[in-house]
Amino acid sequence: MEAFEGFLDDGGIVEPDDAMPDAYREAVFRFIEMHANSELMGGLTERDWIPRTPGLRHKMATLAKTQDEIGHGHLLYMVAADLGVKTRTGMLEDLFAGRSRFHNVFHYRAKTWGDQVAIAFLVDAAALVSQQAVFKVCSYGPYRRILKRIIAEEGFHMRFGEERMLRIAEGTDVQRSMFQRSINDWWWPALQLFGPDSRPDDVLLRWHIKSERNEVLRDRWVQKFVPLLQGYGFAIPDPGLAFDEEEGHWVSGPIDWEPLEKTVQQAGPDSARRIGEAAANWADSQWVRDALDRVAALPDVA
Amino acid sequence: MRTYEVFLKPDGRDEFRHAGSIEAPNDEVALVMARENYARRAEGSRLWLVDRARIVVGDEDFVAPNADKPHRHNDGARVAERRRRLREDGK
Ligand SMILES: [Fe+2]
Ligand SMILES: [Fe+2]
Repeated sequence: MEAFEGFLDDGGIVEPDDAMPDAYREAVFRFIEMHANSELMGGLTERDWIPRTPGLRHKMATLAKTQDEIGHGHLLYMVAADLGVKTRTGMLEDLFAGRSRFHNVFHYRAKTWGDQVAIAFLVDAAALVSQQAVFKVCSYGPYRRILKRIIAEEGFHMRFGEERMLRIAEGTDVQRSMFQRSINDWWWPALQLFGPDSRPDDVLLRWHIKSERNEVLRDRWVQKFVPLLQGYGFAIPDPGLAFDEEEGHWVSGPIDWEPLEKTVQQAGPDSARRIGEAAANWADSQWVRDALDRVAALPDVA
Repeated sequence: MRTYEVFLKPDGRDEFRHAGSIEAPNDEVALVMARENYARRAEGSRLWLVDRARIVVGDEDFVAPNADKPHRHNDGARVAERRRRLREDGK
């Protein structure tokens, strides 16, 4: 392990066929599996909003975003499966049975178009910030290469989110108050996506899977979004939020981690429904997998 | 199901690059899967798919000894040294 850690410290990149300590393999696998699950769960909600997205241009963008998210999940499941810990089917079955984790934000329900815009803007940005921090150092080669593609595409999502947010910000009072409610509902879940402060002995940091501590990333996100939302005349639902004049720095009030803990236990406000929907979707699409299996069983034409 | 490695060629200048992998039942379906997963925004104009089972692998023990063959390189140091001596002698 010591030699392996030295290799990682020197910027070494690990490839799937390389020898690696079991603990490293396990840690990288868990991380990628959770990322893959989150992309899939996010893609499924995105899909729900295709018929409800206002305007043809944005409806088409939602369609493209849905395909992106499902695509991200697809690529990540391939990378995760190559680690040999679980098969892709095994990972999906665990997800639909509530046995494996996905990001906290997908344990809440998006009820209005305002929610959907807040997600595209605040949540996609939070995901992007954490993915960039992984991409910067990530010692596991295949994940790093796939992240490059994912980050580029998350950039599109965030820009669509910002454009949609701007339209609402310039809209009627009804639209603005709808969006304020969405900020009230989604500010904390988005902020909690980064997780509680990193432990000093976090192996994800030690093994160069993540480059920065959770609290640093969370803070970076706060610095960006507080002035942005306030600039458009929206309020941040954090009574403890304060501006440190000397440092020129926004400081969040105390964070209640209880809701995050709930989502980890699959007991968030919308966890059961979301997992149920995902499982139903998996069952409904069985005919596609069956068709592909039948094609695989055909003799080669060539 | 087969696993295919996906290679994309971005434009006339660059070489084919490994993009990732995809699972598909045959070549025909694999082409569609690869395009929809790796080239949604014109990331490449040409696509190569290689069945992972058919890849010939040269492992490190076989390939790496070539790193230690100095006679295959010439850094020009000897010529530079000789030129310098000739210059100084000519003064
Ligand atoms: Fe994504
Ligand atoms: Fe996204």
